[in-house]
Amino acid sequence: MVATVATLTARAPAIIAAAAAELGQERLSLHFGDASRARMHAARSLLVAEHGGHAEPTVEVRFDDRALKLIFDAQARPVDEVFEQSLDLRGDRPALLATWRCFSLLARRASGLRPVQALWTQYRDRAPPARWAAPAIRAKPGRRRGKAHWGDVRWPALDFLNHRYPADAELFRAGSEPVLAPARSLWDGRAGLSWQDHTPVFDNDLQETMRRIKDRVVGEIMRLLPNRSPRPELYDLMRDYVTREGKGLRPTLAVATCVALGGRPEDAVRAASSLEMFHYGFLVHDDIADESTHRRGRPTLHEAHGIGLAVNAGDGMHLFAVDMLLSNLESLGLARTLGLIHEVLHMCRETVEGQAVELGWIRRNFVPARDSDYSRMSTQKTGWYTCISPARIGAVAAGETSPAVLDRFNECFRLIGIAFQIQDDVLNLVGETALYGKEALGDLLEGKRTVMMIHLFRSADPRTRARMAEINALPRTSKSFALAEEMLAAMQRFGSIEHASNLADRLARQGVARFERDLRFLPENPGKAVLRQVANYVVTRAL
Amino acid sequence: MSGFRPPFDPAPRPDRLGPAGPFPTAKMGDEVERRWLHYAMLSRDGRHGLVANAAWLGPPEGDPMGPARYTTILLLHEQGKPWISSQFNATISEPPWSAFSMPQGFGEAAPLRIASHAGEPSIELMLTRTSRPCSSQCAFFAGSHHLRWQSETGVQARGIWRLHGREELIEAVGYHERVRGRWGWPQLDEWVFGFANDLEAEPGRPPRWAAVFTFIKPQGAADGTTASLMLWRDGVMRRHFPRRRVSFAVRGMLDRDRVTMAPPLAGRFGEPAIAAVPQRLVISARMGEDWVVLDFEAEAAARVVIPSESSAAPFTVHEVVGPCLLEGALGGETFALRTRGIVEFSGGAA
Repeated sequence: MVATVATLTARAPAIIAAAAAELGQERLSLHFGDASRARMHAARSLLVAEHGGHAEPTVEVRFDDRALKLIFDAQARPVDEVFEQSLDLRGDRPALLATWRCFSLLARRASGLRPVQALWTQYRDRAPPARWAAPAIRAKPGRRRGKAHWGDVRWPALDFLNHRYPADAELFRAGSEPVLAPARSLWDGRAGLSWQDHTPVFDNDLQETMRRIKDRVVGEIMRLLPNRSPRPELYDLMRDYVTREGKGLRPTLAVATCVALGGRPEDAVRAASSLEMFHYGFLVHDDIADESTHRRGRPTLHEAHGIGLAVNAGDGMHLFAVDMLLSNLESLGLARTLGLIHEVLHMCRETVEGQAVELGWIRRNFVPARDSDYSRMSTQKTGWYTCISPARIGAVAAGETSPAVLDRFNECFRLIGIAFQIQDDVLNLVGETALYGKEALGDLLEGKRTVMMIHLFRSADPRTRARMAEINALPRTSKSFALAEEMLAAMQRFGSIEHASNLADRLARQGVARFERDLRFLPENPGKAVLRQVANYVVTRAL
Repeated sequence: MSGFRPPFDPAPRPDRLGPAGPFPTAKMGDEVERRWLHYAMLSRDGRHGLVANAAWLGPPEGDPMGPARYTTILLLHEQGKPWISSQFNATISEPPWSAFSMPQGFGEAAPLRIASHAGEPSIELMLTRTSRPCSSQCAFFAGSHHLRWQSETGVQARGIWRLHGREELIEAVGYHERVRGRWGWPQLDEWVFGFANDLEAEPGRPPRWAAVFTFIKPQGAADGTTASLMLWRDGVMRRHFPRRRVSFAVRGMLDRDRVTMAPPLAGRFGEPAIAAVPQRLVISARMGEDWVVLDFEAEAAARVVIPSESSAAPFTVHEVVGPCLLEGALGGETFALRTRGIVEFSGGAA
């Protein structure tokens, strides 16, 4: 159960956020048939499951393996067996209902996901066979038995279908549907349902989707980059940067929006490639401006090759970004390509303006007093190119150029973009370097004006504030890790990190709500499902 | 072969076949009263499939003495290719072959010819009965709407199929059905019909095993939902699994590019999208010691768009062909055969 929740947190954040919302304030103590225990509760938009019991649970839940199978193992569901004796919930009525809604949602939306299936296949393989065998059939004395699967047909067709399909080989088949749709009963001898599935569920494995889209975009960039000299001084630097580890958030947003509006994924690939190249160019220059030493787990370009070559490589990236944008002329035509150019120009203008605002603050050793100042700067500096523009660009690639429609993506992804940036800043302070990729405490060394720093200067006593201003005034080369850790300790002491996490969560929730409201016009389809997962991804990233 | 005019009325002829029973010769009274002859066949090698339907409809609303209305459509399928279809005005030989309306002994061959006005698809077959029909079945909906049908499996066909620009001599085995009833498409709502049989029986001999199944889910009459599965062995229906003893389940969706719109003209009317065809259908039935599992996988579908006489949205019948596994036990004898089947997923009218 703990592993399943962790897997879902990483790969299908929309499901976790929805389950957490259903669970609300309830604290569950889970008891399993093998005498192990776990606890579960919702924290912000996360579902937290850990080993061990709760001291003061609001609901006690007792599972045996059959009940767990009901929830997560879509391959073998003894639905008619589970309720009698294998699942026991104790608590007051509203708490029980919240728990039941939470588990029902997990059963409905999570059990078909490939990673969850893989996890439960492993679990089942490790478990003693008897625990996972089909419910025993009580044979009448003297009754003649047929072939080995004679017992199967005691099950209704639904379970028969789940039992036989998919075989594990099919489950892991590459290139198949990202979602394993659960079987549906049409008729069980008593109740009939439509064969027309009116409520399709398109939850997907976000991590795998982002990986595939990123691979496709990186492949396209590598194809479009020239294979000529000067390699060691220019093109090798670009290739090195392009192949570095990254999440693939922007390309995923662009491709998913394109699909959500009825376009083909391929229509958005070159525009997404262009976005990525602009992003890489900004990062190279940003690292120079911030004097950063590491990016995506490796030395920054100027650290490895010198400032001159790095500046030139960044310029080259921007040049090829334009080239990739223009390459859409062949596939998307003039009107859509012009629309894309318009969107990208807007994005670049917002980004450089936002960057100028923040660099100006640092240069003047100024820390704004209000979070709203940060929000405005962050929207310009990263909000547009991280979230808003990729979505709009995907829409344009699908042929949508109406400003009224494109503007529907702005507010929800603005909120999500700010939340994402705040989370990113929090990760820089408390995240694992290996996962995060950038140098730990790099933002403090740079003097970056984050929500935490703004909160610290707003909340700290005058003496601490003066000390922090003194540290900020030092050039980066004069700042030691000890000074950064001193600032981090102050942030922890005055609750700045907690404040930032809460603000990110609040903004993300508002963003998700706006997503559902503003983008209601989009039909439920695989593209929209990916967008929904991205919207929820912000708050479920590992801290 | 006639031109496009009403074919021979398929009502039973009491003088030659005895009492008409639940399929009376009475004249149809209104626009939602119907009479059908339905044919579904699969070639012995499993490569080809055929579905044909001849329908006689009651007089138009407000004109009880108006002209009879009728449609005939023919759909052919070749494995690996999409279904091809005639329009609704295909011609059919007269009288249309039906063991229900013409006396025909076992082993005797009689013709059935259906042709598109374009010349293709078309069939010229000699049909032979090998099996006995089931007793008639009936489903009722709200009000006086109802559907009555009777199926006969093991119909063998030998003759020419014209499709994809060529003629082929094909031997096929399948089933024939007569339908009479009074229903509006929105009231009928949905059905899943289909059959599967052993394709390897010798000419003139009935298939060792054959199954016909039905699931009807009328709108607004939850207790009117019904289902059944009938199992034939050696040409005789041996077991009828009633509604409480069968279950149906589906999974996945057939790729959209494997669904062809039919008749060809339907594509010009901008029909709205409807739900995807399920990829997999499993039917299980059990009664006493006897049980059957039919496990069908969709391979290609033709979406037949049928105008609704009483509402705006058309009714659609997805004729789906694909491999299937039929296994079970009957009277202590177990069986399992890999064959092919044809399934209809219908619905969509509103």
